[in-house]
Amino acid sequence: MNAVLPVLVLATSLLTALAIFPLAPARQRARTVINLVGALAKLVLVAIMLESVARGEVYETRLTLLPGLDFLLRVDALSLLFLTLSASLWLLTTIYAISYLGRGKNLSRFFGFFSLCVAATTGIALSGTLITFFIFYEVLTLATWPLVVHRGTTGAMAAGRRYLAYTLAGSAVLLVGIVWLESLTGPIEFARPGQLAGIDPGALKAIFWLLIAGLGVKTAIVPLHGWLPAAMVAPAPVSALLHAVAVVKAGAFGVVRIIYDVYGSGLVHELAVGLPLAIIASVTILYGSLRALQEVDIKRRLAYSTVSQVSYIVLGASVLGPFATIGGLVHLVHQGLMKITLFFAAGALSERLHIHKVSELNGVGRVMPWTAAAFTTAALGMVGVPPVAGFISKWYLGVGAVQGGFGWVIPVLVGSSLLNAAYFLPLVYRLWFAPMPAGTAPAGAVPGRERQVWLIIPMVITALAAILSGVLAGFALSPLGWATLIVERNYLP
Amino acid sequence: MNGLAPLLLLLTIAVPLAALVLVPLLTRPLRLLPWAALPGLATALLAPIGTRFELSLLLIGISVELDATAVLFLGFGSLLWLLAGFFATAYLRNSHNPQLFSAFWLLTLTGTLGTFIAADIAGFYLFFAMMSLAAYGLVIHERTESARRAGRIYIVLAVLGESALIAAFMLAATGATTLAFADVRAAMSDSAASSWVLAGLVLGFGIKAGLVPLHVWLPLAHPQAPTPASAVLSGVIVKAGIIGFMRLLPDAGVWPVASAALVAVGLFTAGYGVLIGLLQRDAKAILAYSTLSQMGLVVSVIGAALAATTRESHYAAVTLYVVHHGLAKGALFLGIGVLAAIGGRWRAPVLAALGVTALAIAGLPVSGGALAKLAIKGPLGGGMIGTMATLSAVGTALIMLRFLQVAGRGSRSSRLPGAWLMTFTWAATTLAALVLPWLLFERLSDLPRVSALTTASLWSGAWPILLALVVGALIMRATGGALPRVPQGDVVVLGEALARRLANVGSLLGARVSTLRAWLSARRVTVPLALIDRLERGLQSWSLSGSLALLLILTLAIALRLPG
Repeated sequence: MNAVLPVLVLATSLLTALAIFPLAPARQRARTVINLVGALAKLVLVAIMLESVARGEVYETRLTLLPGLDFLLRVDALSLLFLTLSASLWLLTTIYAISYLGRGKNLSRFFGFFSLCVAATTGIALSGTLITFFIFYEVLTLATWPLVVHRGTTGAMAAGRRYLAYTLAGSAVLLVGIVWLESLTGPIEFARPGQLAGIDPGALKAIFWLLIAGLGVKTAIVPLHGWLPAAMVAPAPVSALLHAVAVVKAGAFGVVRIIYDVYGSGLVHELAVGLPLAIIASVTILYGSLRALQEVDIKRRLAYSTVSQVSYIVLGASVLGPFATIGGLVHLVHQGLMKITLFFAAGALSERLHIHKVSELNGVGRVMPWTAAAFTTAALGMVGVPPVAGFISKWYLGVGAVQGGFGWVIPVLVGSSLLNAAYFLPLVYRLWFAPMPAGTAPAGAVPGRERQVWLIIPMVITALAAILSGVLAGFALSPLGWATLIVERNYLP
Repeated sequence: MNGLAPLLLLLTIAVPLAALVLVPLLTRPLRLLPWAALPGLATALLAPIGTRFELSLLLIGISVELDATAVLFLGFGSLLWLLAGFFATAYLRNSHNPQLFSAFWLLTLTGTLGTFIAADIAGFYLFFAMMSLAAYGLVIHERTESARRAGRIYIVLAVLGESALIAAFMLAATGATTLAFADVRAAMSDSAASSWVLAGLVLGFGIKAGLVPLHVWLPLAHPQAPTPASAVLSGVIVKAGIIGFMRLLPDAGVWPVASAALVAVGLFTAGYGVLIGLLQRDAKAILAYSTLSQMGLVVSVIGAALAATTRESHYAAVTLYVVHHGLAKGALFLGIGVLAAIGGRWRAPVLAALGVTALAIAGLPVSGGALAKLAIKGPLGGGMIGTMATLSAVGTALIMLRFLQVAGRGSRSSRLPGAWLMTFTWAATTLAALVLPWLLFERLSDLPRVSALTTASLWSGAWPILLALVVGALIMRATGGALPRVPQGDVVVLGEALARRLANVGSLLGARVSTLRAWLSARRVTVPLALIDRLERGLQSWSLSGSLALLLILTLAIALRLPG
């Protein structure tokens, strides 16, 4: 059973994708059923694994591709953190996407790649070796591209080209790093200390930066972030998935794996690569926020906000101390919950009221109170207002940074909070307090009637989850509790 | 009772939050407001000192405790929230959007009372942030242009204050064994970063308490809010800054510089508030300036405490002062609402009662205010600081006379509906302000009550008021009543002008660039044109965030000097 479960969990998404591709476009009901069955089955499997991994069990599936080249799926606490996030948000995003896309064109293609994308993310979470990780990382790149260009407009195609140019270049660099490293050591398995012993520190340093640069593209570390705002032409559910679950998170997750499970915190400390990486992450955090401030398009503002927020995870990992690591890991989940809420809301606004610009938000809170409330919750969380989850991440990052001797991180965090307030609070003000300009109320917009209930429910759930992850952070199965478990189990000296 | 006491303490927070859930379901949600403060009042009256409730699974673990300071803050705070809540049901009966107002009221209430009973920095920050952000909804409730402006300035300073606090808390928490106040204070004393922590605390709490020059939001926001909200803003919410100082200023170690700085800033604020307040023409604005002046005085006592060997007596005096000022200032704000609602015949007695309350703040003999003044006299000592404090009593008397003069001018309207309920709650607040200090005095001061009735005490309370009467009459005669005018929020006008100027720099530069380009293209010089175009595009997108970036770089440069 222990060897089957990782394969099963991967299969839920993979089989869903395979079942959807050949469906005739008109068979909406069949598509919906397959999607939901796959997503629910995955959630059940994840729940089973959560329970037993919490007890200390480890699941492993090993398949030897070539002698010395293993395909390894392994479920440890860190993989489950990412897996649980992606499995739950996959279900919600699917529900949202079904309603959002309605009876549009090419939906079988869309949902097929959508599931494939999640399958790749699952693979990334479960990978037990660097090579396995790389394979799924590439599948993700390729599975995402059709989603970005789904609309088929010239703008979408251009964004797609840009996405491929960035990510494929990143993958090439990553591959060079992996090959170089494995030529020195043989196959690298995650979380097996001592694999890098006795290697020239200069080479290790160079390889470290190659790996980080390769992963940095998907993580959208400045200056490798250019594809992310461009990819905003994709439909809202894709943006939600890209920003909260799949692509940027895959990059950040990779960075965490490299630092803790390939190099190990001791070696990273010895090589003194933590400080430069923390500085790069800090620059990204501030730069992303500054650019978000300039954007007048809601989705582009959210995109730059992602650039900024994802680097919190990198910052937490590079500071190395237990508190900072917890802060970074827990932000993987918290940022996902908050950012997906924001994108769901932005999508609902554009779908329902054709709102795309910040200036068009005036008075919308009266027309779409649920959407506005969810958006407000997530925005306050991003700023770091308790009890929303973002506060927990910031607190652990800040305290952890001081503990690790990185006192200068505090002004970075506070500056980022201030900038977050500067670009989110005006939106909240417009939603609730600005008068709605006379005569611009769209036809059929009855105050308080938001219709399209399946666009609303997912974002209400994620907003509530963002609040509960903060309020109930002390429970063992909260994101914070789980991140603490990971650190206690794996990274404490 | 002992078994129920922790539950009661929890209900202090839980009941207003539960009421919040009911708000959208009710057609007249304002009726919930007074009752939401009742559990807090019951806790303060019934629960024994030391009652504690741990919510270790919430957030990063928060706990609430009713200690000797909390019980008094909670008592007067929930009493004022309760009375102002009744007042609000009458005052806002025909207001627009009662749901939204009620929701913000309840959130602010929860935040304030939570701030008073929080026993660790996590809970404190949670409630403090809740209070600060939710009060924004009270400030802009009227939705007028001036209310929106006040709200804008309020929220900018509130967010800055929150950020300063969280930075200070993160630094302070690092070396502490737990997040409880005592542990954090102790850890701060040996931490190398403690001066940064101190700076963050002064910034965060100073904004809330209205220390000059962080006060600019206060004279704008307090008058703009609906009257019952003004009462709680000036009466209770500014006190969250004071209790913050008391909870978190580091214990050990001599802090001569910090102490002197706080005393100086406090006394300066006390004088500044009086001076600018005298030049105001709106009764509520005068009261707001008086509030920041009074908080300045309180902060100077706290500053003196920092240098003292023990702080108990200082803090006890501060608590008494705060309780009296909160209730009296609340009563004065409510009184303005009563004056406007009561109509003709009853204006004179209301004005007379307002006069007594106003002069009580200046230390009118036999009033509660005289006891408050007496209590802080000891801690302030007799030296220059004591003299300045005495002088400030003259200033307070002056500003209060000015308030009465302005308040008395109002037009005689007919009686509004709800006037009696408003009058009743105002009268109850007034009574509490005048009497409660008598009941609390011996608990908070080493002196017996009767020491307020000696000839010397009576005289020391009376002469500043008499002197103020003389000085006020002289000023009015000399100026013919035409005092110069200072805009509400005083220096904020400069700040706003500067912000506009900064925003203009970008467009001005742009205009210059266009002129240059026209000149160049007229002479067919094409090479630099493309360059200029790029420069211009860059300028447009970076004019705002560029200046912010500079600011951040500056902050970082300072921060790099942070130890460890």
